[in-house]
Amino acid sequence: MIVADKKPIDEVIETIKDYEKILLLGCNECVTVCEAGGKKEVEVLASALRMYFLNNGKKVSIEEKTLERQCDHEYLEEIRDVIDQYDAVLSLACGVGVQFTADKYLSTPVLPGVNTCFLGATEKRGVWTERCQACGKCILASTGGICPVSRCAKRVMNGPCGGSTNGKCELGPDTDCAWQLIINRLEAMGKMDEYEKLSPLKDWATDRAGGPRTVEREDIQS
Amino acid sequence: MQFKNKVESGEFAILAEIEPPKGVDTTVMVENAQRVKGVVDAFIVPEMSNAVMRMSSLGGSLLLNSKGMESVMQVCCRDRNRLALQGDILAACASGVKNIIAVKGVDPGNGDHHQTRAVYDISLSELLNTMQLFQEGKDMAGINLKGSPEIFVGSNITMTATGSLLDKELEELRSKVDSGTDYFVTPPVFDMQSVNSFLKKVDLSKTHIIPTVLLLKSLGMARYISKVMPHVKIPDSVIKRLQEAPDKARECTRISMDMIETLKSEGFSGVNVSTIGWENKLPEILGVFAD
Repeated sequence: MIVADKKPIDEVIETIKDYEKILLLGCNECVTVCEAGGKKEVEVLASALRMYFLNNGKKVSIEEKTLERQCDHEYLEEIRDVIDQYDAVLSLACGVGVQFTADKYLSTPVLPGVNTCFLGATEKRGVWTERCQACGKCILASTGGICPVSRCAKRVMNGPCGGSTNGKCELGPDTDCAWQLIINRLEAMGKMDEYEKLSPLKDWATDRAGGPRTVEREDIQS
Repeated sequence: MQFKNKVESGEFAILAEIEPPKGVDTTVMVENAQRVKGVVDAFIVPEMSNAVMRMSSLGGSLLLNSKGMESVMQVCCRDRNRLALQGDILAACASGVKNIIAVKGVDPGNGDHHQTRAVYDISLSELLNTMQLFQEGKDMAGINLKGSPEIFVGSNITMTATGSLLDKELEELRSKVDSGTDYFVTPPVFDMQSVNSFLKKVDLSKTHIIPTVLLLKSLGMARYISKVMPHVKIPDSVIKRLQEAPDKARECTRISMDMIETLKSEGFSGVNVSTIGWENKLPEILGVFAD
């Protein structure tokens, strides 16, 4: 999923301080799972903002709504009839949702309420780790299911590098060496012969080398 | 610092682009430059133009300097992060290359290593600010330098914009001047009409503009540029002139020579002659300026 983190409230206040009618818009997908921008976070943030503006003598109306998804035309249409009632939308969706909402409602400022961080997984409640950088050319089949692009600090394709010590990265003891993890897994699967094969030069053209990317599937387009 | 002295004293400066080789044989590069040594005030050494891998601008600039020819190093946001850019600028300045042009760089998708990652760690305006900081004795992290460089800083500007795009271009020009840009090199210019709107808004006696004169190589090249490069305007009269010329190669050279004369009479600070691979034509194009 896309992992996001809440923006500091001071930054949010600075972003919206010039508006009087604000729609605080949550999303029921990834940001709900990582507890940054779902219905519950919308309620908590809306209360905190109302209290702040009340204490500072500023009349600001903050209304709440959470859509099923903000990265989908269908669900964004749900606010079409009410969008003109607001001076701005504070979106707690990821960067995709913020942009999709902004694309749809051209004259309404759509402001981000979270920082979109990475594609990751939930380790335990309150801890999410990066697992994928969406490079567009998956090599997990040859690296024991562990991604050196997202998990090796240097994105080394034939590791480990000289900075790996006792299974840890040179960044510090809190960071596992991705290539040590790859070796451990290949060993466990009895596939160390995979490790002996040199990875070819990485083709970054599917990453960001060619500019913004599009996936087109003619077989399912209507 | 002949180039800087000429620009600042109001004399017409002559720059020429010299591409470094794709390899280590620098014979042709050096010979082409030496043929116009004394006529050209400084050679712009492009930094892997069009994202085609070749010797770096730093290497090419140092080489020309070592042969007694002034160079203009190009630094580009595409290939280096802020550490590498700062390090290379210090290396250049400490080794005598003090003219530096900053450019953004085209996407690698257009080059010959299209699978590479572009860097774009810092923007062009941040790169220009960095060179200003250097001259004040600081690096990007605010740490004091041990000896600060003097840099004659250049950047690029487009003169063919009109309407709201022109306003945007003028805003960019002002912003770059505020960031310490001393002179501007433009994309190729083929007539004055296409830059008239720009010139009505810019005082050439105060802003140092150095247009590029691009040597056309054929009628086909002229048509191609006209079709696919919207910021480069080739008037129909130039196309017609080439169509009617019995010796098209000779006419291409004449078109460049005429354009240089026009730019000089219009009060520009200088010219940048670009021959993209035909540097052996430089003596002919610049012959009139030889002693």
